[in-house]
Amino acid sequence: MSRLRELQLGFAAAVLDGRSGDFDHQILARGLSGDRRLQVYRNNVALNLHGALAAVYPVVRRLVGEKFFQYAAAQYRIHHPSHSGDLHVFGEHFPYFLETFESVAHLAYLPDVARLEWLYHDVADAARHPALDLAALAEVPAERQGELQFQLHPAARLLKSAFPILHIWQINQDDDAGDASVDLSEGGIQLLIIRRNNLEIEFWPLENGEFTLLQALADQQDFATACERAMAAQPTLDLPACFSRHVMHGALVSFHSLRA
Amino acid sequence: MSTKPGASRLGPSSIPARAGIGLRADHYDAVLETLPPVGWLEVHSENYFGAGGKPLDYLERIRAHYALSLHGVGLSIGSTDPLNQRHLAKLKGLIQRFEPTLVSEHLSWSSVGGRYLNDLLPLPYTEDALDHFSKRVVQVQDALGRQILIENPSSYLQYAASAIPEWEFLTVLAERSGCGVLLDVNNIYVSARNHGFDASAYLRAIPRHLVREIHLAGFTVNRFAGSEILIDTHSRPVDPAVWVLYRQAVARFGAIPALVEWDTDLPELAVLVAEAEHADAILEECHVQAA
Repeated sequence: MSRLRELQLGFAAAVLDGRSGDFDHQILARGLSGDRRLQVYRNNVALNLHGALAAVYPVVRRLVGEKFFQYAAAQYRIHHPSHSGDLHVFGEHFPYFLETFESVAHLAYLPDVARLEWLYHDVADAARHPALDLAALAEVPAERQGELQFQLHPAARLLKSAFPILHIWQINQDDDAGDASVDLSEGGIQLLIIRRNNLEIEFWPLENGEFTLLQALADQQDFATACERAMAAQPTLDLPACFSRHVMHGALVSFHSLRA
Repeated sequence: MSTKPGASRLGPSSIPARAGIGLRADHYDAVLETLPPVGWLEVHSENYFGAGGKPLDYLERIRAHYALSLHGVGLSIGSTDPLNQRHLAKLKGLIQRFEPTLVSEHLSWSSVGGRYLNDLLPLPYTEDALDHFSKRVVQVQDALGRQILIENPSSYLQYAASAIPEWEFLTVLAERSGCGVLLDVNNIYVSARNHGFDASAYLRAIPRHLVREIHLAGFTVNRFAGSEILIDTHSRPVDPAVWVLYRQAVARFGAIPALVEWDTDLPELAVLVAEAEHADAILEECHVQAA
């Protein structure tokens, strides 16, 4: 191993893992100890990663308080170290981490609130896509429509939760002037999170059949299978109206035939 | 021939020898509405690595009015891990799309063993490290198909193993790899105070022809038990002592683009514009004196 690599691994162990060993012997003291100097880097790393997480999860932070959020962020980066020079992707596993983090086990809704915040962040810088080509769709013969596969907009995501996470999210926005509390017994929600062409992000609460249809299409099921699943989930669903709503409003943006 | 609808309109293709400011998300609307009279803009490359959305949309609209510099903080050039090809590919895509005049990174490392510390970490200034860093800069420049600038970092420690002064390391690096130098005079001042070297001597040791850009920013002072350490926080106005050093830099390197950076506790846009105007005034004064 090169001396440079050895030094970098020693530095990372001292700063990320608190395993300084005799690493501070490699640092000139000059008024401050080697370890005190390393502490500056520990602080910088913590601040940068905490800042990246706080930018994505303002609602989680508000729900648990800044002090606890700092603790959670510190634990998160131990279990899920940063793997990119782009800090925007650092928080990806935070919802999963919260699910396994015993200190918040009593806040059962918290991981799903975090999921909502991650998807909001994720669609914010997803790609643009033109609307679905209706003329091309009209040319598909009726008997071939069932084998089509449809694609969701690159800036659209589906999320299902047993908790009223949208309501929780809404009352924890800075500009919210409504009720300050949420009754958890109001039940769960099925959501489409979508960034529109004007770059604003919208939440569309979906009924069971709609959600099932879009989820099946997102899972790359063919149109016939997706329709069957949607009708099974909600026999009263107005399927044609539901499908055309998601085409017209831009959630479904392209299609291809499996056999073509 | 027709223009592709929605194709970006690129503004000036060269950066004037004037002061620019670091563009941050909180100022997007103010910049577009007021088009402040600054020479050019610099952004952090990684803030535009997404596939779409507001950052790219704003940058496209703002680029129509200003010359641009892409300043990276995450390429980890000094790391002994293999170069992050994904990161490099995203940077290359941004360069193709926005045609920046300048592209820069740091004389530092930020990852090892696959883990990122997401900070600008100091290298030991040894022959080994110089050889490694020079080769990596060549690799980056080959991949990007252009020259990059390398910036001197602020540092809070020195390694016992370091045998080469930072100014010499930077100079030899530029000569070997063909990169340019982005001289951050605030970082020189911060490191000089932290390590007890002469900041003016650092400036005098850098050959005139290597410097393509200058950075200016504010630092904070942390004190512990009778000792102090300066931290490069980019959270305050440029310090009077750094303005003095900037005058010396202008006298030595002539009229080159300077940038005012501010990242934490970001003030109103007007404050940054005023700092840039101050830098321009110094530039003009020095030139009048020289003429």
